[in-house]
Amino acid sequence: MKVMGGQIDRVKRQLLREAVTDNLDTIRGLPPRSLRSSRRIGHLFFRRAPLVIIPLMLASFAFLSNTGITSTRTPAVVVHPPAARHVEASVMPMLMTDTLEPVSASAFPLSVRRVVLDAGHGGTDPGASSISNVSEKEITLDIERRLGTLLRQNGFEVISTRENDRLIPLRERARLANGSHSDIFVSIHVNSIPHPVNHGVETYYLGPTNDPTLTKLAAAENGTSGYALADLRKLLDGVYADVRRDESQRLATAVQHQLFSGLRGVDPGLENWGVKRAPFIVLVATEMPAILAEVGCLSNEREAEMLRSGTYRQQIAQALFHGIHAYASANDAPQKKGT
Amino acid sequence: MSNESEILHVGIDLGTSRSAISASNGERFVVDSFVGWPADMVAKKVLKRDVLIGHEAVANRTMLDLHRPLERGLLKEGSEKDVEAVRELLKHLLRLVGVSSNGRTDASNVRAVVGVPAAALRTNKQYLRNSMKGIVDSLMIVSEPFAVAYGLNALLHTMIIDIGAGTTDFCVMKGRYPGEEDQRTLTVAGDSLDAQLLKLIEERYPQANVTVYMVREWKEKHSFVGEAPKRVLVTAPVKGVPTELDITNEMRAACETLVPPTVETMLDLLSRVEPEFQERVRNNIILSGGGGLIRNLSQTLETALKQVGGGKVTHMQDPVFVGSDGGLALALDAPDTDWEKLTA
Repeated sequence: MKVMGGQIDRVKRQLLREAVTDNLDTIRGLPPRSLRSSRRIGHLFFRRAPLVIIPLMLASFAFLSNTGITSTRTPAVVVHPPAARHVEASVMPMLMTDTLEPVSASAFPLSVRRVVLDAGHGGTDPGASSISNVSEKEITLDIERRLGTLLRQNGFEVISTRENDRLIPLRERARLANGSHSDIFVSIHVNSIPHPVNHGVETYYLGPTNDPTLTKLAAAENGTSGYALADLRKLLDGVYADVRRDESQRLATAVQHQLFSGLRGVDPGLENWGVKRAPFIVLVATEMPAILAEVGCLSNEREAEMLRSGTYRQQIAQALFHGIHAYASANDAPQKKGT
Repeated sequence: MSNESEILHVGIDLGTSRSAISASNGERFVVDSFVGWPADMVAKKVLKRDVLIGHEAVANRTMLDLHRPLERGLLKEGSEKDVEAVRELLKHLLRLVGVSSNGRTDASNVRAVVGVPAAALRTNKQYLRNSMKGIVDSLMIVSEPFAVAYGLNALLHTMIIDIGAGTTDFCVMKGRYPGEEDQRTLTVAGDSLDAQLLKLIEERYPQANVTVYMVREWKEKHSFVGEAPKRVLVTAPVKGVPTELDITNEMRAACETLVPPTVETMLDLLSRVEPEFQERVRNNIILSGGGGLIRNLSQTLETALKQVGGGKVTHMQDPVFVGSDGGLALALDAPDTDWEKLTA
């Protein structure tokens, strides 16, 4: 085991509390948590979340305005510490006396109708570029259009954050997405990494849960408070945000799976870099399940060449479509009913 | 609430085949999960007892109404005799660790954690809870592989594969209380292996007189998968004459029935772990339960893991008390305030 003694104790306390909750549910005759109705979850969320959301929003706004619009990416460490401190200070007293139950996304039989597509970069922000001078903004826009066509042909409504080579600020993209009452948000990007040989695909969703920075910080400040850290983490999960995070993760998993399995056939050296968590601004600011897919690597010469071809872009669009479709179909499937 | 200094914490692994108890006073016992009542007045006179438990019950089974109350690790609902048998079994286990109605420690001082199969339904748990009324003061029911993981401190990025008699339980520990999606239960386990072995032996030696109890004993001594460490020779009556039988191939074939479902479930659960943690889980697979002692099984599982990048499977040398020790650890760690809510 790589976990330290102190962390084991904290994990144990959390597990123990969950075991007790599970037993109390049995005594009360409640159905398993995964089958509970959404009303209960909503109730819990609305009752407890505002206390956490307000400081977090303040932190996020401060963060957004400081960061500006020059880059889509933000190092993971930047956003969490202020958020964690705010939350800790205001929420701790409440935590001592109350528990928040984890929310299961399967209680929400969501269905996906409207999709926001976000082609990364644009205008004066070209994003990454290859030696042969293909730029990320151009590839993402083309793949976005192809994906949009596929989705429309299959009965989805599509909202695009940019329809031509224009620079749209990230906040504006998020605002557009939130105002459109869409079901999911898919941002398309192309990677560029320092190693010219490796190339792969990866998909991100928002979530700090397993971020060691957050864990360490909160641990240091709550060293003696018993269950507080476990509950803090649950609450942060709630903000970041319960159902949305789970759904984003499922969407990311579906898309990543299709991206890799769909492209590996035509690009044998392609690596599967998996589903990851990171606080990209578009993911922080959007209100629906949101992912950011890195569909290729411009730093690899061979792949850069492939990314120039319409055929390969179409294959990428198709893989993304299959991922979104798989996620949407899973959500459309009949859900288990609670008792 | 009873005086704290006298409180006895116990962890109980209520198994289909064997049940183990670990208590905070340092006592540990394991008994066969058999309960028998004398079948008639004659038997009662001969045995001089109202109820027999464990190996005593198995040894005297011809005179008993014998019950194995936990088929597939669960209490059989609707059978009053089985509920009674479980109560007798639990009372017996508690007596072994020093709980008695007239002694220093009685039922009102006992806080128990009981492990049940991962797939136990809420109704199963409620049923067990009801049947334990009056036997212990407070009761917490947890999934058995979770208790094992807790006892071993294997709480993060590990997989427990607990091959018992009635069930094979899988549990991936992700640092949170395992939910449905983290656990699986197969009924391919020790008992199904015994049935298969018995069938194969009867097919090969139709004249031999073999019972499932004999088969179980042979399995516990000689089980293996893959290459045979040595020939498996056992003695059984053939037309009344004790005869040596070679059951090497039958033993292998029966034991190997566990492999495909175990591998499939293991890989399926692994594929559901987030990609960045899969490697850590693959390298932290723990094989527990009696089935974990099948020779070469951990190596066979490791071979299967090679197709997904390789991994490490460790088996517990002494799996008997792993579950009950884990339950005891949970019992001791749970704060008083929680115990007070969990009155049996």
